[in-house]
Formats: sequence, C-alpha cells, structure tokens
Amino acid sequence: MSQPASAQIEEGVIDVLKNVSRRPIEPTLASDLVADLGFDSLQVLEVIAELEDRFDISIPLNDVPATRTVAQVVAQVAQLVEQRSNN
Amino acid sequence: MSRLRTLPEALAEAARTDAGYLFVSANGAGTAPDAASGTYRSYADVQRLSWQVARALHDAGVRRGDVVAIVLADAEQFLTTLFGASMAGVVPASLYPPSTMGELPRYLEQTARILRACRARVVVTSATLAPSFEALRAGCPDLALVLTREAFDGAAQEPAALPSLDDIVLVQFTSGSTSHPKGVALSHRNLAANVDAINGPAGLATTGADIGVSWLPLNHDMGLIGMALGPVFSARRVVLLPPHLFVKRPGEWLRAISRHRATISFAPNFAYDLCVRRVKEKDLEGLDLSCWRVAGCGAEPIHPPTLAAFAEKFAPVGFRAASFLPCYGLAEHVLAATFPPRHRAPRVEDTFVSCGSPLPGHMLRIVDEEGRPAAEGEIGEIALAGPSVMLGYYNDAELTRQTIRDGWLYTGDLGYLSDGELFVCGRVKDIIIVNGRKFHPQDLEWAVDDLAGVRRGRVVAFGTMQRGGPDRIVVVVEPSGTVASEVLIDAIRRRIGDDFGLYVDEVALVPSGTVGRTTSGKVQRAATKARYERGGLMETAS
Repeated sequence: MSQPASAQIEEGVIDVLKNVSRRPIEPTLASDLVADLGFDSLQVLEVIAELEDRFDISIPLNDVPATRTVAQVVAQVAQLVEQRSNN
Repeated sequence: MSRLRTLPEALAEAARTDAGYLFVSANGAGTAPDAASGTYRSYADVQRLSWQVARALHDAGVRRGDVVAIVLADAEQFLTTLFGASMAGVVPASLYPPSTMGELPRYLEQTARILRACRARVVVTSATLAPSFEALRAGCPDLALVLTREAFDGAAQEPAALPSLDDIVLVQFTSGSTSHPKGVALSHRNLAANVDAINGPAGLATTGADIGVSWLPLNHDMGLIGMALGPVFSARRVVLLPPHLFVKRPGEWLRAISRHRATISFAPNFAYDLCVRRVKEKDLEGLDLSCWRVAGCGAEPIHPPTLAAFAEKFAPVGFRAASFLPCYGLAEHVLAATFPPRHRAPRVEDTFVSCGSPLPGHMLRIVDEEGRPAAEGEIGEIALAGPSVMLGYYNDAELTRQTIRDGWLYTGDLGYLSDGELFVCGRVKDIIIVNGRKFHPQDLEWAVDDLAGVRRGRVVAFGTMQRGGPDRIVVVVEPSGTVASEVLIDAIRRRIGDDFGLYVDEVALVPSGTVGRTTSGKVQRAATKARYERGGLMETAS
C-alpha cells in the first residue's frame, strides 16, 4: 500500500463519519466511535453501508464489535480494499 | 365473528392453502444484497418443521408446562421452534438473541437474569450460542437442558395433544428492564382475539391476497404478532427480511415491498425517518409503492412531520399518504389497541397524530391521577380492557397486580380522546425510547454505578423528550472526587455505549446531595429530571 492510498482512505473514512453524524464532529484517528463521536448502533451500520458504497467493499458484521476507533476503521477498510484489488 | 383458534389450529388451517413465509437472507454483508434471494416455506412446510420440533422436545424429555426459552436470531428457526413448542404444550419464552454490536459477556449476564426470573428449564438456541448457555447453567438452577436447534432433524410426527385456548402461547421478554425482567404472558385466547381484530374489517381487513413485508425483529411484538403470526391466522403470504439488512440499507425494505407487490408493512416512526434521510434519489429508480395499501406505524411516538416527509418523498413512486395507519398498542395488550379508519391521511392535532379508536370488542378509557375517567380532550393515563389484556407478567404476581386493576390494564402511556379517537402524547413511566428500542433508566444507572469516581447509588438517568426528535439521554452523577471530571464523563459514555449501543447526550456531574432518595431508598428520578429540565441542577464541572 502506498502512502497516498492510505491517506485517501483515511480522508474518505473521516468524510463518511462526518456525513453520517448529525452532530458537528472533528474525528481524529484516536477518536472512539461511540464514546467520542456519539455514534449509536444504528449509525454504525449506516457508516458501514456508506463505506461499502464508497470503497466498493463488503464489511463483515462479525468484525464490527471489535472496531472501536477511527484508526481501526481505516485499517479494516484498507485491508478490504487491498484484498479486493488482489482478487 | 369467527371462532377463536389456538396457534396450532390457525397453522393447520393455513397449511391447507399454498401461502407461507419467504425468508430472505442477507447474504452476509454483500455490497449489493439481492433481497430477491430467499427460502420459501409454505405453511404446510412450517407445520411439518414444527412437528419435528415438538417431537424433538418431547424426545429430549421436555414436559408439558416446562418453560422453554427460545434464543434464535434466524427467523425460520425461531418461528418453527415457537410453533413446535406450542404444539408440545410447553411454555415458550421469547428472549432477545445477542446483537451483532454488543458484548457477549454482558448479554449473557442479562439473559441469565431472565432465565432465572422465568425459571426456564430448557433453552433452545443455535449451535454457536449453545456452549455459552451451557456455561450459564451453574447460575440458573432450574435450567436443565440446553438444546441446539440445528439438531432437531428427527421425524415429523403430528403431536397427540394440542394446547387449549387458555394455555400460555408465549411469554415475551420484549420491553422489560434488564435489571428486573418482565415477561408478558399471553394465552392463545389473547393472541387470537387480538390478531382476529387486527385482521378483521375494523382493522386491516385482510384477505388471502394480501402480501406482507417485514424486517422487524421477531422478538418484538409488532414483528412477531403483527407481521409473522397475523398472516398465519388469515393464511396470507409474508416476506421476512433480516432486521440488520434494513438498518444498514433502509431502501431494501421499500425495494422488497415494490418487488413482491406487498400490500401490508408496519414499522416504527424511526424507520420512516431513516428512509427519508437515507434513501437516495438513484434508489427511487424502478421503485413502485402503489401496491402498499397499509403502511402501519406504531411501537414508539409518532411524529407527524416524519410521516409528511415520507409521503412527500415517495409520492413520485406511488406512495399514498392515505396508506398510513398510525396505531397504538403494547405487548401487554398482545399488540394492537387502536386503529384509525383505513384510506384516510393521518389526522393531526397540534404535534400529535390520531391512533384511531379501540378494536371491536375492546375498551379504552383515559383516567386522571386519581383513577377517575378524564373528560374529552383531557390528558391522562391510557387504560385498556377486553380479551387482549395479557394474563399477566410471568411469575410476577405483584407487578401484575399493579398493572392490571379491576380488569383494566394501566399502560403507563399518556393520551387524550378527541371525537372518540386516541392521541398518544407521552409516558407516565420513565422509559427512554431511541430508534424504537426501549431502555429502562435503572439499567443505565446500574451500568455506571460501579465505575470508579461515581458515588454509589447517586446516579440518575433519564431521557428528555425533544419535539420531533429522539429522546435526549442525560445521566446525572454525584462524583466521589477520586477521578478527574473529563475522565469520568468519558468512562460513563463508554460504559453506556458498550452496554447499550447508546450515546449519552449529556453527563451532568452534580454536588453531593443533589440526587435525592425516596424513603424506600430509590433515587428520585422524576424530581431530578424536573430540576434538570428547569435548569436547576448545579454542575460541579462542565
């Protein structure tokens, strides 16, 4: 993965988070989706749907409970994007 | 009116038609889930599969009258187990399966409380969850058997004895508090009376030609009774989608209605709101909602602006505002209590919407704080009487006595009557409702009570109603002073986020002595909430 690609993913994830949240938020990589950004379970699923559309990936719901921070979301999306381009 | 039937009797009659369930699977989490894929089970298939369950329960040593807790997320497994348990004459208890989002240990702790409360002797669950329930047996003395649903693959044999109308058809642990679980016990007679009224001419006026579409969880009264059992009683088809498919992609609900030419679909207010906000212009392409004659709305406060926005957005694809059927009901009354006339756009007064008049053969009145009937237009507690009033809370005579008095079910909901129609406008009980999910303040309070930095027992949680929006969640805490304010606020948000998937809008840290207690030692939630709403809580930190 080249640096620009992962920077692009980070930017995309943060963009999606800002769009889905109905509060003014400034997510950083360290932000916790629930505790810091105020996402409830409904919005987490909305985030997943938006990320799938934007990056053309499929996010397994089983992995959702373990994903808490923006950094973890970015890492997971990057991994799925890489898998997709390897296939 | 037709003769009341037990659940197995209704299924047996439906099995003579070619109607049935279409179980749609979400195909994991594909980017373009094809809601057309699914498994069709005619009611005859369902009856055969249910016989198999009844036989398997019998062979496993389950006896009539045993409480059998059903913990299954899969719709086909859940329904056939419920029917089979009912045929076997046991007492089926419906429990929430763990959510995909939550933490399993916390879920199991809460579920163990429910199993103890209803003295469940048997749990039927999936192969995945069976080991976790096996491990709960140590803490649940009555729990003798954990059965795996997938293992019920023996012969299907028609059961020898069937339940009577006065047997329990279901104990529903739906909206009860997790700290003090409440199981709503319904008889076959309750179920049949309510479902017949819903299906009848004053309700939905269903025929065998009606087709339902639902994504509602089957652990919820509207999802189970309205959308899954109701169709059996009138032998009509219904398409069942997994709940998370809707939440992730709300447009899939509407697409399923359009594709299957569905005529009946119910959902809480938040679902209509989600469609307004999240269904994109391009998703409207190819959608035709002109078939949708009953767009039911219930289970949580209904906001007229939501319905208006939905009608406006989807009018170009054939949706009619007169299809809306805003209704009122609750699990303690099986499901439905009032329906408005069909083919009428919602009747709105101020910010409230009419939920119509009581079902035939049922009674409703509004009572003031002294229990006297309120005058027309006067707000009071909604009380219901008639054949749909539950048997009671299972194994909880005291709570039942408090809730059902002289044959009247006191709902804890506030409303008024205008021209014989009910307008629901709030709650006596302090339940917090967010996105159709009910949360009990004491559960939130208990969850944070043991955090470092919190004075034990000095926590109050409540929701303040916002007009046209979800409840705002406030937690008021007296800090012990051992933890920095911002760390404590963060820890409280995290704990409630982890346990309930809920965001706390405000954590108010208040000086010692602010959170009052009643003489019986309970926190004074209402008083604290009232002071908060008046702006009278002095905070020690911002």
